[in-house]
Amino acid sequence: MSMIKTENICTSFGKLDVLKNVSLAVEPGEVVCIIGPSGAGKSTFLRTLNHLEHIQNGKIFIEDKLLDYYENGERKYKISAKERNAELLEVGMVFQKFNLFPHKTVLENVMIAPVNVKKISEAKAHDKAVELLTRVGLSDKMDAYPNKLSGGQQQRVAIARALAMEPKIMLFDEPTSALDPELVGEVLAVMKQLALDGMTMIVVTHEMGFAREVADRVVFMYDGIIAEQGTPEQIFQHPQNDRLKQFLNSVIKQ
Amino acid sequence: METMQKMIGWIPQLLAGAKITILLTLASVSAGLIISVFLALGEMSKNKIIRSFCNIYVFFFRGTPLLMQLYFVYYGLPEINQALTINSRFLAAFIAYGLNSGAYCCEIIRAAIQSIDKGQFEASRALGMSYSQTMKLIILPQSIRRLIPPVGNEFIMMLKDASLVSIIALADITKVTRSIQSSTSSSMVYIPAMVLYLIITAVFTIVFNRLEKKYSVYE
Repeated sequence: MSMIKTENICTSFGKLDVLKNVSLAVEPGEVVCIIGPSGAGKSTFLRTLNHLEHIQNGKIFIEDKLLDYYENGERKYKISAKERNAELLEVGMVFQKFNLFPHKTVLENVMIAPVNVKKISEAKAHDKAVELLTRVGLSDKMDAYPNKLSGGQQQRVAIARALAMEPKIMLFDEPTSALDPELVGEVLAVMKQLALDGMTMIVVTHEMGFAREVADRVVFMYDGIIAEQGTPEQIFQHPQNDRLKQFLNSVIKQ
Repeated sequence: METMQKMIGWIPQLLAGAKITILLTLASVSAGLIISVFLALGEMSKNKIIRSFCNIYVFFFRGTPLLMQLYFVYYGLPEINQALTINSRFLAAFIAYGLNSGAYCCEIIRAAIQSIDKGQFEASRALGMSYSQTMKLIILPQSIRRLIPPVGNEFIMMLKDASLVSIIALADITKVTRSIQSSTSSSMVYIPAMVLYLIITAVFTIVFNRLEKKYSVYE
């Protein structure tokens, strides 16, 4: 059983085709890193997985359950909103801009979804939140407001917040791109531990070191398609696709 | 000095008028705010009928003079149907001003909601929150900070707009001022009247500044 799978999905923004027949299957516990130049469609692809973007063609499966099936912009398969929402709860997301709730403390940020969506008791949610915040190294910041935290700390809170809903899959949309370089490490460390603990992760990233070290599979996207994919060794040491070679050269130059 | 004494003599009447002015302003804008939240959410609704209704409402109340709205509620409605007669001048003014304020506040609320970063909606959705949960827990609470200055402005403007009620003979500051003016044939009464308006405006301004400070704790 795949954890999350897409079959030939296409997305367009107006006349611009952003995703062209993208098919990808991610196994439970697998860590997939998506790399590629700007505008390749990496973030768009990630966002179709939890419904933040719509597809016009193709199928999306979560835990082998068909969630979306579109043909030429028409929905071909009806699934009740209740069922869809239940499956989407298995997918957590961490954003480039963190998107913490500024009017809530760190602890409240982590508790708010379990209490209101899963109807978990405040006491239980509180204990879970404390456990998660300790896991990401922020147990001393629980009563602080997000605006008092550094970017790296905010992103770690965002990770804890997503984990509080106990998802089976975690999506990361360029989680460290908005961070000062010296703060990137602490976030990557948390993500690495998450991977070691067995979480299924799909990470859009420019951090090649992370991809090399932690990914089970690296997917190179270019111009709306998956141009090449393989193990980190295959992709970084023996790239086949010309565009991939070009991309890796430009990244190493930095 | 005789003038000063006269002015001091007018103060009790002016204060009685001030009571009406302040009460009307506070009641109308408060009612307007409540109406406006529904209007603003309605304007952003996916339902075309609800959207149209809200747009028409706002268009009407922003597109016609408050003076005419007031006149119509008090004098015009009874003419259409006896049952629509509002005997209390204050109530008529409150209805007209409340509905009017609802329209103006609607645009304030809508702008405040739409100024919230899209990422907040996305994060809420990613966590599984429904649209109404997102609005109630995440968006509206953050909107409050943004709407304090324009709502404060609405209160202060309504304070002056309240002076129009003199045309339906409701005894606010302006009506009292004009009564005194005609009975004394002197315009000196305008001086304490204007000072009174200034004092009330100053109090509103201070209150809203404090509110703004209180809510900016996390930004």
